[in-house]
This record gives sequence, structure tokens and C-alpha cells, in this order.
Amino acid sequence: MANRIINMLLILLLLLVSSISTIRRSVPENFARAGHTNNWAVLVDTSRFWFNYRHVANVLSIYRSVKRLGIPDSQIILMVADDMACNPRNPRPATVFNNANQHINVYGDDVEVDYRGYEVTVENFVRLLTGRSPPGTPRSKQLLTDEGSNVLVYLTGHGGDGFLKFQDSEEVTSQELADAVEQMWQKRRYHEIFFMIDTCQAASLYEKFYSPNILSVASSLVGEDSLSHHVDPAIGVYIIDRYTYYALDFLERVEPDSTKTMGEFLAVCPKRVCISTVGVRKDLFSRDPHKVLITDFFGSLRPVELTVSGLNVTAIPRTQNRTRRSQKEREVPDRKLQYAKQFPTFIFES
Amino acid sequence: MKSQPMDNLVYLEYAVAGIIRYWLINSDYKQTIGDRVEISTSLNSWRKVTEGAYLYSEGINPYVGDNFHETPLGLIVFNKLISHIPQWIGIIFIVCDLVTAHVLYRTAQTFMSELFSRQMRKKEKYAKGTETLLLKQSDLVLPPVYVASAYLFNPYIIFSCVGQTTTVFANLCLAFTFLLMIKGQRIACCSVLALATLQSLYPATLLVPASIYLARAESSSSLEDKQSLRASSCILTVVTFISALLLLLYISSELTGGWEFLHATYGFILNVPDLRPNVGLFWYFFTEMFENFRLLFICVFQINATLLYLVPLTFRLHDEPMLLAASLTALMAVFKSYPSLGDVGFYLALLPMWKHLFNFMQQGFVVGCSFLITSAMGPIVWHLWIYSRSANANFYFGVTLAFATAQIFLVTDILLAYINREFSLYHGLHHKGSGKTTKLVLE
Amino acid sequence: MMVVLHTIFSGLLCLQCISSVICTPQKDYFDEELLLKPLPSGHVYAYFQFTTLWDVDFEATSFQHCHLFPRALGEIVGRYNVQELHISLTEGLWRHETWGYPVHDAAPGAELWAWFKESTKNIDKTWKELAGALSGLLCVSFNFVDASNSLNPEFTFRPAGIVSSGAVNSSYLRYSTLPREIVCTENLTPWKKLLPCDAKKGLSTLLNAGHIHNTNYHSLGLHLRPVCRDTTCSQMSVELRQTVSLVYDMVILGTGNQDWSIKKLFGIGLSGACPLATMSNIYIDIALNETGAHFQLTPTPPAVITSTRGGHKSKFAVYDIKALDIDGMFNIAAVYSSSRVYGVNIPPVLFANRYIIGYGQERGGIVTKLHNGHWQALDVVYLENIPWFIPLYLHTLKIVANGKEIKPLLKRFIPGKARARPYYLEVALRLPARSITEISLEFDYVFLKWQEYPPDANHGFYIGAAVITSLLPVGRNYTGLPQDGSTITSSFNASRDGYLVQLRTETLIITMPTPDFSMPYNVICLTCTVIALAFGPLHNITTKRLRLKNKEQNYVIRWFKSKLTRSSEMKEKQS
Repeated sequence: MANRIINMLLILLLLLVSSISTIRRSVPENFARAGHTNNWAVLVDTSRFWFNYRHVANVLSIYRSVKRLGIPDSQIILMVADDMACNPRNPRPATVFNNANQHINVYGDDVEVDYRGYEVTVENFVRLLTGRSPPGTPRSKQLLTDEGSNVLVYLTGHGGDGFLKFQDSEEVTSQELADAVEQMWQKRRYHEIFFMIDTCQAASLYEKFYSPNILSVASSLVGEDSLSHHVDPAIGVYIIDRYTYYALDFLERVEPDSTKTMGEFLAVCPKRVCISTVGVRKDLFSRDPHKVLITDFFGSLRPVELTVSGLNVTAIPRTQNRTRRSQKEREVPDRKLQYAKQFPTFIFES
Repeated sequence: MKSQPMDNLVYLEYAVAGIIRYWLINSDYKQTIGDRVEISTSLNSWRKVTEGAYLYSEGINPYVGDNFHETPLGLIVFNKLISHIPQWIGIIFIVCDLVTAHVLYRTAQTFMSELFSRQMRKKEKYAKGTETLLLKQSDLVLPPVYVASAYLFNPYIIFSCVGQTTTVFANLCLAFTFLLMIKGQRIACCSVLALATLQSLYPATLLVPASIYLARAESSSSLEDKQSLRASSCILTVVTFISALLLLLYISSELTGGWEFLHATYGFILNVPDLRPNVGLFWYFFTEMFENFRLLFICVFQINATLLYLVPLTFRLHDEPMLLAASLTALMAVFKSYPSLGDVGFYLALLPMWKHLFNFMQQGFVVGCSFLITSAMGPIVWHLWIYSRSANANFYFGVTLAFATAQIFLVTDILLAYINREFSLYHGLHHKGSGKTTKLVLE
Repeated sequence: MMVVLHTIFSGLLCLQCISSVICTPQKDYFDEELLLKPLPSGHVYAYFQFTTLWDVDFEATSFQHCHLFPRALGEIVGRYNVQELHISLTEGLWRHETWGYPVHDAAPGAELWAWFKESTKNIDKTWKELAGALSGLLCVSFNFVDASNSLNPEFTFRPAGIVSSGAVNSSYLRYSTLPREIVCTENLTPWKKLLPCDAKKGLSTLLNAGHIHNTNYHSLGLHLRPVCRDTTCSQMSVELRQTVSLVYDMVILGTGNQDWSIKKLFGIGLSGACPLATMSNIYIDIALNETGAHFQLTPTPPAVITSTRGGHKSKFAVYDIKALDIDGMFNIAAVYSSSRVYGVNIPPVLFANRYIIGYGQERGGIVTKLHNGHWQALDVVYLENIPWFIPLYLHTLKIVANGKEIKPLLKRFIPGKARARPYYLEVALRLPARSITEISLEFDYVFLKWQEYPPDANHGFYIGAAVITSLLPVGRNYTGLPQDGSTITSSFNASRDGYLVQLRTETLIITMPTPDFSMPYNVICLTCTVIALAFGPLHNITTKRLRLKNKEQNYVIRWFKSKLTRSSEMKEKQS
């Protein structure tokens, strides 16, 4: 405990010193190596209805991990198609567990769902990726990435060969997905993408990708089903899928300063536990996954900008402000203010 | 005059039909009948009329909402009726229906005599051995009675009257159009046609048979150059119709103080925003249509209902404008956006005028059975779908499809029968003499 | 170690306080209060109110520098020219009949209404953008709010705060509800982040998701309005009320007895007041202690206030958290002398029910029953909020009080328009004394395009709650705050001419007839086939001529026949 605090204080001090001094400017090694400047996550559960509880648990497991590893809520776009936590059928309100033993409440006490319920549509998803949001979309519903962003895309739901169903009523095809990603690339909306998908015949969804710098992993190959892990008798439905269960199991052991690599993560669910074969596509990805830190996608770089020029931090001149305000205050007493009548009694008087 | 006993018979029929209608309109069935989707569409239901009149009397413009689609003229009249003589409304509906029947009866009488005189004129051109096909004086007596009976006792028409649909008034206008058309009275005919068009838009196509009739009436009465006379007569008819229609529209806009009604009435007819099931083809098609193609298919369907068959049928049937008018009315009833059984009943009532064609029809049995079966199945599958939830929309859709198919068969069959008969009149009856079997084909 | 951290933290906080005091010349205050009220039915009503008062003009520029006021909200309010903003996110239905009136009434689901400043240009557009921004702020699907589900009722909603002119122009008001909206932790999290102390310290630490969503009724509220700065009311202040209403069912939660405590209700004790709060109080309504089941509070309340309001007396135990010397976790417990004894429930003066009538999916009706238990006639305004896909027939509006039809004093109706505008009906009524008034309306079921149905079309479609507004002459069961007051304290001994109640009725759900979603192509093909059935023959009839033709047999048949004849000839030959 004491060590950690001292560490923290040291870091603070270091930051202070580095920001004050304009002389020493050695860039830390990790900074230069990572190649990306910020991290984003797009986590999507496309399934509605109570019996798809496990898909919500899947997506919240990843949400929990990336949040724990440092991606802030403002850079996580979480799409959850149905409400499981506060569903009347949930015996423990405001919780979603990934395990019948209820070790981890993946929903947590601090969760921000950006797209929920009927908002989870193919249109919204593609708009989010490509940045074509309608005017008036709040920042929390936009993927404000740039060419330095590493984006983690996680999808879960019911799928088939070449498509993923959204809310049981529409579907996104692998071609549409690939085109959306290509558009992202052309708009310089990402640096690298780690594409994870947990659905039946999941590998079919990444097959059509043709844009660079995408590492993909899928819970099952074409022709295979992805299976769920186990049932919680208290909830009455399957509560998590196998692949995500083991992925979370792995991620729980990752710390923000971990040196674990993506290579290890890709091998997280061997066939004997997953029952399906985990598919990996590396040909679009230029780096060797065994040399890529897992935190490159699941963790976060702090948005620190190193500048060479110094900044003069003095108080902003407020005189102008003040005069304006005092003018206003002088105007004030002329106004006649009153509370509005709360009930239109006049309509009853006639 | 031989028609005297027939007239008496018809009057008796009026009385019986009136009594049936009066009984039903005062019974508990009235509500049930009026609520049927096959009878009352969004366009003609009395419930919507009541709502519109109520809103109007409350000082709310009924055209800003979604619930009223009658013309302002209708609105004023219905509002007056509802507020002043609510107890007489049923009687008014019955009387209108009986008047329609009588007008059709008169139309049929005139048409039959016209048909006879035309036959007499052309008799020498006909082939030998076709005497059996020709109409005799005695053949002219019964069809008008059949027409009146088909209108008076057709359950479609009875229900449509008892359900107090505004189709009753539309039918009245149409019947008058037919009568005045055959009588050759231009201004009256055009005005009535404009009124019908104002109410339901589609009857505008009847302007073509009307102008043919009127032109013919004019050219037969004068001895001048027929060709130019016909052209000028047609133009005059069109101009009269358009000016009558514009006048009516202007009056309508004056009555409600604006043109919003255009969108609520014609916009509603053309854009088909209401997808409540009816006996037509639009509702399920546009329920299931993809949004991007909606406009395209609306255009296609509306052109199909109005203009598509107008020109070819006109060329083919210009000798027989009455048949042209009847087939246009029938196609309209099949393909319009909100058809009801009242529309179907109306053109069915016209058919006995061509009783002499019935022998040439080949699909009478199929069509008849289809009508019977669909009329019975419609309410059943509706109940299963809407009330007991054991069927779905496809069942009802299937029934409406079958009903539309039956009507289409009927129309094409009667047109084919007409062509067949004409051919036989000019080329003689069947031709087996040569030893080889021959058959009539269209090519 | 904790102590060190704590000192560092508070030091930093102090630094921030000092700096902000220097920066902003305006004064602002933050009060946190909790009202606990045992209800006669055995439920416990917990009402949190966090009030931020800021002596500043309600201008967009004012919100550029915030201290206690949440800047995230301030920016939105400033940007969209908002004069007043009310949001509530509710799960469950407030049972007026058994629970009395809450401090803030809220419709099930999400409810949003706002008054815009008179300088606002395009209100519909601003409204949509405001709702979009709020959807991002609170994780609510407010982005579904637009002109097609918004009303501007003329009488029901009036500005709760101050206005510069006496006249109220309802065209600057927009009101919308999303009855389907669920409320869960994801809404509570951002809501808590708007508080000055977040959920780190003070009464807000009691708001734990698991114990909030465990209730029979929970409602988050956010109410922003301009108020008078002082009694002369020449200047305005900004008031932000963040509220949480919870109703706990002690019968379910309790372990065999009626006892409740802060720890039992919220799962955690109180560690102290928010350091930024000027006032941090807990009130416990102990009126029921005397009339109903008797309970003992531990620790004994430091003060008891007797409040008389509208001829109704009530008593409150007051705990001032700031004055308490809290060591560890502070807890208040109510221990009942006998288990399971419930007081006699006297229903409030006015309450309402609403339901759907009719069967099948063709025609239906909506009936609202208004119960007036007062000995005098009551004036009410009834607002119906019907979505566009439920076409109402105004001519079927029937108001029957105790079996007699009564005429409304005033009626406002704007018929809805598909996909553009909901049905708006506002009726002013005088309910006869001691009466049950039934307001009924009929509607048709509508058939939508297949892509307009939600993914779970067979779940049904929601109809928002009706709002019934009245000015009650008596204060019985009334807990609302007076218009000129900001805190719960201000409602003590606050007798006025009338007590404004706004009841929200049940939301309704109807299942609409659905098409078959799986066969658009089949339908398109079949319908086109039928049209082709007409086109083909008519095309033939009109463009071709009849000809006589030799009846030629089919080639296959001919070939067959010739074979047959030949073989028979062969046989003949052989024989």
C-alpha cells in the first residue's frame, strides 16, 4: 500500500517536473514503441430477450476488463440491446454475473451504456464506426477516433455464415462490416483494430476484411457453433459463452503494467475447453502478435501530449469579464420577476 | 307500353329492399356491419365522418389530423345532417341507395333500347346464321330489372348501405353519371362526374366514355362534319368537366378556409398512408414494401388503377362506351387504394346490361365460387387473426388476393365475351363444317 | 495511511474551494436532504434531494464557470437556450391511493419537459438537439424524442420557476415521455456524477445500485429552474434539484418484522456529510408513530419539528449530519413495538386509474377513473398523451361522474398525424364532490409498415401516462415543496392557498396487429402476380385480334398418336 502511494506521488512529481522543466524531454521508450496515441473500444451486444442473458454478460465482461485496464468510459462505446440487470426476471437487480458462483458482477456499480435497447441497430452501429452520426449526436455516442487510435471492436450475438443478427430483426453482413472498416481506414479513423467476435460461425464475419492493420479473432470457425459455458439455476438461463468466459478469465489476470502479449491472448481458449475452434486472422496485421502488448488494445494510453514549446501559465485576465458582469448587474433591478402561477385557475372561473 | 308491369315489379322490389335495409339499419347488426373492414375503409367509414363533423363543430380543423378524409363539401353536408337531423340519417342512406337503384334501372332501360337500335342499324353487316345471337324485343325488358335487382339485393350493397358508408353517395354520383352520359346531357353529366371525382378521385377516368357518348349524341343529332364535331365536342366536355371540378374545389377551399384538405383527401388516396386491411391489393403490399421502393410502387399501382388500361380499352371499346365505362369502373374497384365491397357491388349491378354476353363467358363458375368462398372466408380469417390470434395477416391477405383475382377474371371474361360475340356476329357462328376442328385465338 | 491520503485529499479540495471562490464571484450553496416516511401500507418512502442553488443569472454565459453546479449540465442548458428543465427516470408506478402523494410525481419510464427562452428560434429543432444531448449525459434513449412524440400542453405544465412576464406562452414548452424506458445503474451512474460530492461522500453514498433497483418504485429526478434570489425577487438564482424517490416494501425486505434502518434500506451506513454541503439533514416522518404502528428511533432524534400545513399536522424527527460527530458508520433504525401492524390507510383526496377496454385488435378504448374523495368539487386539468399510432376519436369522449354525464369546462384537442405528431387532448373538469369520474375515449388499432415495428413487436406498444393536475385545498398526504422553496425544510409549516398535485396515471400497453415479418418478398411477388393477371389478358384483348385457327394438336401428342397407329398397323400386319 505504502509503496503504491509513494509510487503515485513519485509519478505526480515526475509529471510536475517534466511539465515545468523545458530542458529534459526524453520520450519514454514505451511511448515510441506503441505507435498509437489513444485507445478506444466498441463493445456491442446485438441480442435482445432474456434468454440471451449470456450475450449481455459477454459484452459486460469485456467492458469490465477494458475499463479496469484503463480505458475511460468516454472512450468506450457500449451497445447493449436489452436490459438484463434491471430486468424484472433478474432475481438480483442491478447485477449481471458471469459465473454461477457470482464472483464477478460484470455490470458493476459504475457503468455507462451509450446505446441501449432499440438504439442498437445496424444503422447506428455502422454510423458509429464510420463517423456519420446525425447532427446533435452527443459525444458519448460517437467514436471520435483518429489515425493514432487503437480500436477494440467486440461483437457478440447470434450469427450465421456471413452475418450477425441485430435484435433478431435485422442483420449486418460481413461485407457491410468490411466496407465500414475500410471507410474508417480511408477516413483515418484508426491505427490498428483488434476485432473480436463471439457468435456462431464467427470467423465468417472477419473473412471479408480488406483494410490494413486488423487483427481478428473469432470464437468459432465457419461451420461451427459457439457454445455457452454454464447455466445459473437461479437465473434460469445460460449466463456466459465459453470463449468470452475464458477470455475474461485471462484478462482478469492482466494488470495495466502487464507484459502479456496478444499472442498469448489469441490462444486463450483451446479447443478442448471452447469446443469450437478459435479462428484468428493475422494477414492484415503487420506486427507479430507475440510482440504486441495486450494493453495495446485492452489498456489505454493516457492522452498526454508532449510539446517542445513552453506554455506561460498565468492567470487569464478577467477584467473584461468582470466589467461585463457588473454592467449586467446594473441592469438587473429594472426587471420584474415573479413566479408563474402553477394552476390555470382562470379557466374555471368563467 | 310493355314495361308497365315491369315498373310495378321494380317498385315492389324497391319496397322490399327498403324494408330490408330499414330493418338492418335499426338492428344490432348495423354496428357489426359498419365495423367490417371489407365494408368500411378509412375513406368511407361513417365513424370517421362523425369524427370529422364533430371536430368541425368543435372548431378544430379536421384536415390537420389523420382521421378524416372526406371532402369539405361532404364535411359541411354531413355536419349539417348530424347536428340537425341525426334520426333521419339512416333513412337518407336508404333513400340514396334506392335512388341509385332507380337511376341504374333507367340507365339500363335506355342502354337496352340503344343497344337494340344499334343492332337494327348494323344488322345487314352481320354474318348469316347469327340470328340466334341477336337481341329480340323481349330480351330488352328483363335486363333493367336485373340491374335494379342486382343493386337492390346484392348483399355487398345492402351492407354498404346499412354500414352507412359514404360509398352510397359515391355510387349515387356514379349512377347519375352513367344515366346522364347515356342521355347525352353534357353539363349535368360533367357536374355529376366532377362531384364523383371530387369525392373519390378515381372516377375521373370516366370522363373518356362520357365524352365519347356526348360526342356521339351530338353528332347523331346534327348533320355537319362529324369528325371535327366530335373533336370539338370532346374538348368541350373536358373543359366543362375541369371547370366544374375546379369550381367544386374552389368552393371546398372556401368552405374550410384553406387547401389542407387536398392533402388529407387526395394525398391520402394517392399516398396510401393508412395500411388498414381492406379488400384491395394495396394494404399488405405497402405494409411489406421496402421504404426505398415505396414511391416507385405507389406510382406503378396508381397508374395501374387509372391510366394504364384507359387508352387501350378506349381504342378497343369506343363503339361501346357503356361497356368501357363499366369495365373502367370495375378495374377501379379492383385496383383503387381503398376499395370496399360497395364499389364491387356497384359494378356487379351493371353487368346484367350485358346479359347477352353471358353465354360467351367461360369462367362464370370459377368466379362465382371464388366470390362466395372469399366472402365467407374473409370474415372468418379476420376473426382468427385479429380476435383469436390463431392466424396471421397472410391468411387475410390470401383471401383478398383471391377476391381480387376473381374480380379480374370476371372483368377479362366479360370483355373477352364481348369480343367473341362481335366476332361471331361478323364471321358467323361456329365453324365445324370444314371438317377440321378450329378454335378462336387472340393473336 | 488513510489519514495521510485523507488530509491530502481534503487539502486539495480546500485548495480547489479557495481557488474557485476567488474565480467566481457568485455564491452557490449545496444542500443534501433525505426524507424517510413510513407509509401506512408497510412501505417506506425514501426521498433524497440534493439542491444546488447558485446566485447567478440564468444566462448561457453564466454556465461557463461552474463551481458546485455540474458543468456538463450547465453547458447543455446554456447551449440550447433552456429556461427550465425537468427530467425524471422512473421504474414502477407510484400508488397514490395507498402511498399518498410523493414530493415529485413522475410518470413510469422517462419523462422530459423543458421551457425554452423566448429568444429561441426553432424550438422543435432545439428540443430534439437538447434531448439528444441529454441522452448522452444520462444514458437514456432521449434521442427518440422528437416532434412525433412531443406535446406543448397549454394548461397542465406551467413554469415552475420565475418568469419575467406574467403571461405564459406554452409554445415555448415541450413535453415528452418514453414510457418504455428502463432505468438502471447506467442512469444512476451519470446522475450521481452531477453531484458536487459525486457518490464519494455524504448522503449520496447511500445510493447503491443494488439497493435502489430492489425497490417497488424508484425514480431519479433532475429539476432545473430559475428562482428568486431573495424575497424582493429582483434577481434570480439557478436552482438544481436532483431527487431520488424510493419505495421499499418492508414486507418483502423485512425479516419477519417491520423494522427498518438506513443500513437495511441502503445496504450501508452513513459515513458523514458531503463537505461541500451547507446543510445535510435526515428527516423522518414520525406522524405515523402516533396514529399507526408505534416505532422507536435509535439514536433518539436530536430535534423534532411539528409542521402544520393546510390543516394537516405532521411531525418530523431531524438529524443534522453535519452536527453529528460520526465515528465509523452512522445508522438510524426504527424499531417497531409490534410486528406487522399497519395503520389505517386513508386515501388522498384525488387519485386516478387508467386502463384499456375492448378485446381483439380492431377497436379499443381508454378509460381513466378520477376519484375525488373531497367534500367539495375539485377543479382538475386532464392531459392525455396518446402516440400517433393510436388514432383517437374525439366524438367518443365521454365524461361520466357518478353515472351522470358532465360537460368539460374546456377542451383542447389537436388530432395526431402519423409519424409527425401525437394526439393532444387537454380537458378542464370540475369533479363533483365525493365522486368517481370516468373519462373514456375510443381508438382504432393501426397497421404499421413492417419496418416500423420494433424488434419485439409482440411485446406491445406503450401509451404514456395521462397527467392530472389539480390545486388541492387541503394538505393531507401532501409532501410537495412550495413553489418558493427549494429544500425539504421549506415545506414545513408552509401553508398556502392550494397545494398543486400532478398525478401520473399508469402507462398502458397494447398489442397491435402485426404483419408477417418474414415474407416481404412473397407478398410483393404475389401481389404483382395478381396485377399481371389483369395486365396480361387485358393486353391481349386490347392489342390482338380474334382469328380462327385450326386446332393443332400438341406435338408430343401427335407423335404419340402416330406411334400408336403405326404399332397397331404393324400388329395388324403380323396377324
